[in-house]
Amino acid sequence: MRLVLFESLWAWWPEVLLSAGALVVILAGAVTRRPAWPLGLAWAALVGAAATLTQAPLLPPSGVFYNLIICDAFSFTFRWFALGTTALVLLLAAESRDVAAAWRGEYYGLVLFVAVGLMLMAEANHLLMAYLAMELVSLSSYALVGLVEGPRAAEASLKYLLFGALASAIMLFGMSLLFALTGEMGFYEIRRTVVGLGGPLAQLLVTAVVLMVVGLGFKVSLVPFHQWTPDAYEGAPVPVTALLSVGPKAAGLALFLRVLEALQPAWAALAPVLLLLTIVTMTLGNAVALVQQNVKRLFAYSTIGQVGYLLIGLVVGTTVGREALLLYLVAYLLMNLGAFACIVAVVNATGSEALDAFRGLAQRAPGLALCTALFLLSLAGLPPLLGFLGKFLLFGAALEAGQTGLALAAILNSAVALYYYVNLIRLMYLQPASEARPVTAGRAVWLAVTVCAVGTLVLGLFPQTLLDLVRAGSALTLL
Amino acid sequence: MPALSALLACPLAGMLVVLLVPRTNVRLIRTAALLATGLALLVSLEVLNGFDPSGGMQFVERAAWIPQLNIQYALGVDGISLPLVLLTGLLGFLACIASWSITERHKEYFALYLLLELGMLGTFVALDLFLFYIFWEVVLVPMYFLIGIWGGGRREYSAFKFFVYTLTGSLFMLLAILALYLRTGTFDLLVLAEQGRELSRPLQQWLFLAFFLAFAVKVPVFPFHTWLPDAHVDAPTPISVLLAGVLLKMGGYGFLRISYPLLPAGVEWFGLAMAVLGMINVVYGALVAMAQTDFKRLVAYSSVSHMGFVLLGFSSLTLEGLHGAMFQMVAHGLITGGMFLLVGVLYDRAHTRDLGAFGGLGARVPVFAGFLIFFGLASLGLPGLAGFVGEFFALVGTFGVWAWPTTVSVLGVVIAAAYILTALQQVLLGPLNARWHTLTDMTGRELVSLAPLLALVLLLGLYPLALMNLQEPTLQQIITHVTGR
Repeated sequence: MRLVLFESLWAWWPEVLLSAGALVVILAGAVTRRPAWPLGLAWAALVGAAATLTQAPLLPPSGVFYNLIICDAFSFTFRWFALGTTALVLLLAAESRDVAAAWRGEYYGLVLFVAVGLMLMAEANHLLMAYLAMELVSLSSYALVGLVEGPRAAEASLKYLLFGALASAIMLFGMSLLFALTGEMGFYEIRRTVVGLGGPLAQLLVTAVVLMVVGLGFKVSLVPFHQWTPDAYEGAPVPVTALLSVGPKAAGLALFLRVLEALQPAWAALAPVLLLLTIVTMTLGNAVALVQQNVKRLFAYSTIGQVGYLLIGLVVGTTVGREALLLYLVAYLLMNLGAFACIVAVVNATGSEALDAFRGLAQRAPGLALCTALFLLSLAGLPPLLGFLGKFLLFGAALEAGQTGLALAAILNSAVALYYYVNLIRLMYLQPASEARPVTAGRAVWLAVTVCAVGTLVLGLFPQTLLDLVRAGSALTLL
Repeated sequence: MPALSALLACPLAGMLVVLLVPRTNVRLIRTAALLATGLALLVSLEVLNGFDPSGGMQFVERAAWIPQLNIQYALGVDGISLPLVLLTGLLGFLACIASWSITERHKEYFALYLLLELGMLGTFVALDLFLFYIFWEVVLVPMYFLIGIWGGGRREYSAFKFFVYTLTGSLFMLLAILALYLRTGTFDLLVLAEQGRELSRPLQQWLFLAFFLAFAVKVPVFPFHTWLPDAHVDAPTPISVLLAGVLLKMGGYGFLRISYPLLPAGVEWFGLAMAVLGMINVVYGALVAMAQTDFKRLVAYSSVSHMGFVLLGFSSLTLEGLHGAMFQMVAHGLITGGMFLLVGVLYDRAHTRDLGAFGGLGARVPVFAGFLIFFGLASLGLPGLAGFVGEFFALVGTFGVWAWPTTVSVLGVVIAAAYILTALQQVLLGPLNARWHTLTDMTGRELVSLAPLLALVLLLGLYPLALMNLQEPTLQQIITHVTGR
């Protein structure tokens, strides 16, 4: 038993460091009033986690924590993904002014907890573990959304909490049904057992899966479980919105893929429903984004639209789809967080979250406007940026799977999405600024913007290495 | 460096230089841009010098780019791309001279301008479908800003409309590209030309339609043309020149480079529709041009009409017809480029383009009047000038195949004569409007940007073989490839 624990820890140091780091950061925030301390500690924990992750064995010799957790190439990719997201979000959080100094310890600590939860979601191999991971992310997020003082954030947080609790309860019900059906909780064992189910039991299985989809759908903002998204995004501090728009979406999709793999026999019944929801998700997200006036709400709906594209990689149910999904996630991470970095700078300088705050940004901050335009064009899917390659692969995966209708829907959605992405560019470049005072960004934001911009452009032009990594990361079997 | 890579490197390097120069040093920015476009023109002439018309695809360069997806950096020119490369090189250079009239934000203007030239040149030399698509889309973004920032009138609306129309069209092309790749496993246009014909008939027809949407928006084919008058009118003069001169040709080139070789069954199936659409373009464009009171809008609609002849020629699948279509593309680029420059010259001085506001300018600005009459006559298809050759061959080549659409299209020539002559008369003849007593004639810089166009329109009109010899073997090859004749 000792041996198992010891070996498990070897594979799991990043999570240990992050969790411990999160506690220390919160403590430090309570002890000192200077926000630099908790921030420094958070970075230390993050760097430590990254360092240990490079050393973690890709395939540990025995099951990690008695197979509660799975460390394969797939989860490995998503652990890096979570660390990358957290690092960029920390950069933004250091600079943004919407959270009071007194709350900084809790702020950074909770962000680290979310990171742990994201990593756990991707490596959960057991129903309970999956539930714990999702709750860790959710509970931390509820608190993060409410960190800004004032009624708007409180309302957003409460809404998020109520929706989230309901979704969790429904998912838990699905899990209990599944347990009743199979007597198992490990994904691998569940898969072995469900294969033999037939008759009315098979129908019950579908019910259980549908109920679980509600919980997962809530996390990734799948329509119709998306209603919390715009309000939570609008109320949260900008860096938290950035975190929510990327981290839980990626981890949620990872868990989604794994659960679907475990419940393969129910796929035939589920696939048409998911296909329909995918199309509805992207269409609704893009259509409603057209009329938004608040930049955070705009990005909330844009996220829903983007999740719709990402889901293509899931609903086609092929390896090609999974590869495309991974690549687009990388692109999405870079371009969306990059865009949010620019939003942080604009909100800091103007104090406004309205789209009008972007008017004439090209004159007030030429470099920032250029990078924002780059991110928006990548989000819209223009070559040669990375977002284009991701979409290219996703649409290709849809066609390869014979889903021409899905590909067509995605294409039409891209055309609609153009409108609001280009509209923002129009405001920045073609409209006069309301005031001449330049918009400046601090070093941390510039670092985040530069990393994202270089990634979006260079990886778009030379994606060879990334493609290899993605291919290696989308393991053939997820169980 | 291989010739075609060098050709693409000119605008790219120019753009980087412009970006590095401080924004206050306007002189240096202009010089860098002029050098870059001039070098590109020289390199394209060098390519012409080493080109062998009967040698098929030449100057071919290949390098693996994204091996996982079998995507190559593949370039090459043949008889259909070279004339358009030359046209782009020339208009790119001349419009750069004309860009002296730009008075604000020079740095951004010339950087975007050079990016635009990179996209245009790349589209015409790419031999890999993925690369082609990238260059095709690269054109959009600079064009959007060039119209939206430096344009006039409802520039924001026009830029936006241009962007959304074109990108929506090309998204369908993207789907078709993906479908082709999934069937064949390659993006190589030359390989695809061999394998495309083996696709099932219905699939070829669907793919043809998808590509058609992308190209039709660019050409533009009725009813996808509504972005054109707005964009052309509101763009600054040099950009109007490139829009009409080069961008429209990208659509026509797309048909010849992709739709025809890759999807022969689709082409034959669409033949009559193409002829009818061409006919509508010719007649409808001409009629609407006739109703315009804004000089620039008139020229814009005449483009719709003139590009109709290109479609008509395409639909014939005869050597004469294709000759006509290709010739018309080049001639239209030269003539309409000249017309837009002339309208710009007038607008820079008078600050109006209302045809009714002029009158009697012929005596006041004789050099300008001479140029305007020359390009006007070329535009209405006067024999001896380049416009005539293209229209004539397109009509002759198509008449034997689609008789009634061709017959109706002849009307377009007649209406063209009417609206061009009316416009010339309104601007140049009659009593001199008192407002224009102080109007000055063309400057040296304006002459320099127009004289080469005039010479080429005359040369190609008197000696069409100069161009036809260049393109004939490739056109013959396309016809044989599609029809088996």
